[in-house]
Amino acid sequence: MNNTFDRYASLVFLLLGIGFMWQSTTISSSAYGSTVGPNIAPFGLGALLIILSLRLFYEALKARGQSGKADKLDYKRFLIIFAAAFLYAFFLETIGYIIGTFLFLLVGFQVLERGKWLKSIVISALFAAGVYVIFVVLLEGSMPGFPSWLS
Amino acid sequence: MDTLQFLADGFATAFQWHNLLFAFIGVLIGTAVGVLPGIGPMSGVALLIPITASMTGGLPPEAAATSSIILLAGVYYGAMYGGSTTSILLNTPGESSSVVTTLDGYQMAKQGRAGAALSISAIGSFAAGLFAVIALIALAEPLSEVAIKFGPADYFSLMLLGLCAVSGLAGKSITKALIMTVLGLLLATIGMDTVSGVARFTFGVPLLYSGLEFLTVAVGLFALGEVFKTILEKDYSAGKTAKIERILPTKQDLKDSAGPIARGSVLGFFVGILPGAGATLASFFSYILEKKMSKNPETFGKGNIAGVAAPESANNAASGGAMIPLLTLGIPGSGTTAILMGALIMYNIQPGPLLFEEHPQVAWGLIASMLIGNLMLLILNMPLVKVFAKIIQTPPKYLIPIIIAISIFGVYAVQVQIFDLMLLLACGVIGFLLARNDYPLAPLVLGLVLGPMIENNMRRALTTSNGDFMIFLQKPLSLVFLIIAAIWIIVPFLLKKRGKEVVVNEEG
Repeated sequence: MNNTFDRYASLVFLLLGIGFMWQSTTISSSAYGSTVGPNIAPFGLGALLIILSLRLFYEALKARGQSGKADKLDYKRFLIIFAAAFLYAFFLETIGYIIGTFLFLLVGFQVLERGKWLKSIVISALFAAGVYVIFVVLLEGSMPGFPSWLS
Repeated sequence: MDTLQFLADGFATAFQWHNLLFAFIGVLIGTAVGVLPGIGPMSGVALLIPITASMTGGLPPEAAATSSIILLAGVYYGAMYGGSTTSILLNTPGESSSVVTTLDGYQMAKQGRAGAALSISAIGSFAAGLFAVIALIALAEPLSEVAIKFGPADYFSLMLLGLCAVSGLAGKSITKALIMTVLGLLLATIGMDTVSGVARFTFGVPLLYSGLEFLTVAVGLFALGEVFKTILEKDYSAGKTAKIERILPTKQDLKDSAGPIARGSVLGFFVGILPGAGATLASFFSYILEKKMSKNPETFGKGNIAGVAAPESANNAASGGAMIPLLTLGIPGSGTTAILMGALIMYNIQPGPLLFEEHPQVAWGLIASMLIGNLMLLILNMPLVKVFAKIIQTPPKYLIPIIIAISIFGVYAVQVQIFDLMLLLACGVIGFLLARNDYPLAPLVLGLVLGPMIENNMRRALTTSNGDFMIFLQKPLSLVFLIIAAIWIIVPFLLKKRGKEVVVNEEG
């Protein structure tokens, strides 16, 4: 596989390990009635992570030369859907569940396959309304249905 | 009260109408999850935790836990039934434990024996499921009585053994698997320390005091991660399915597969009990066993019915066997059982030796429901197999956005925080990146679930020994566990070093 990723990942894990060890020194080192405090486990695990990340770096270095298989990823569609999901999640409370879900699904369906607007609209609307009715009306869960300025 | 009395009570619980409904929904969704390529049992169960949590909201806590675990376990073993359908009809396994089934199953479908292959795998799964549940009933009580005598040091070492076993067998690189385990354990330390009440790694952010929610991380890593992978790899075109003509197997088919089903059940069950091994390995081993035992091994791979019956029985028996360490010891041996355990803990029910004493309703209700669920699956899968074959043709372009929407809905319904939705999306991306680069995700989830318990037991043991780490080597049981744990890591490592192919568990 791609060992550039492994090298960067080992760096991230190394930093994470150092970060956890460093932060664990600020935690109180003893608990009442015990010499073993809440800092021991994160400290030890952080150290372990550092060792393992070094080992990973070494392995990635050794495996250099083998080029990973280069299959093209469909970044465009993914980024559109991810952005849509992000906006949907971020504004869920402001625009409400029904409108947000409807819009998100519509975008998702259309990004994956253009056309068939009617089918996309019907499925999105049915899903959004259906989930809302089952969850809020039947199960009495709490979920912002519509934006506050609409209801 | 003896076991039979408990079992009768369990049936009384399982036969309550809402629990029957939950079991039915569970196995139905499970079969669909197994049939749909791209959603495995792990992401299916993770995706359904928040849904069941909101469905059971109106019940008292213990009943709610029983109902949701019945549903979630139904998804787990239901997926084992469904996985065979795509393997046979499409030559693409619906989940990794059905990979071996494609070898002979698709050949049978090509010869026009698709119906026979499907029904044999349903019958085999049923027989194996039944065997696993009966074995579970027989072993659960004695095992938890042994486990109850464990001290904190023994428990610590046992959990370490569980983690090592899963890491040693997961994925291609042990280093990567170990990193994932340690990362999971580290993430588990975020939040309020349960022993001393000190806040750790929260940086004063109140949202972090309760720690990273297991549910959010699991749904993100598995469900969203897989969906993102499908989008990025453009893996959403529906294939052509083989035709099903005659559903019922012939007498000869039944006769030929009785032996493989029996052997597959027993083998699968015991492989399932082992931590780290799982349904995938079980199906693999049983296929090899059948091929070795067969009088004409050259027919394997050319549509031999034993090559369908054995692995399909084995993966189902393994999913039953995997429930044993989960219920009696509180140690999940795989990613899916770790998620089930996380679900139980969400309901404040701690799996482990005390489960059978403190919450007999949950434990025995689940066991009884597994018997009922397997029966439902047999009925569902024999006549309705054609309907499920239709599910394969669901256009994934509709499925993908809906799975994202369900994940977001589910997490928000339980957590009611935008922060968790952001964490969910982040975990989705991380899950995709890690899985794509051969970092196994199961150990991470296992670490996250077991983290707090490992730490508590370690600190309790160290408190009794005044901080002396030698206590883990002085207690005989603990020492044995630690030695086995070391062997589990070192042996695959050495085998790989000598350039041997090591069978790895992809399902995790």
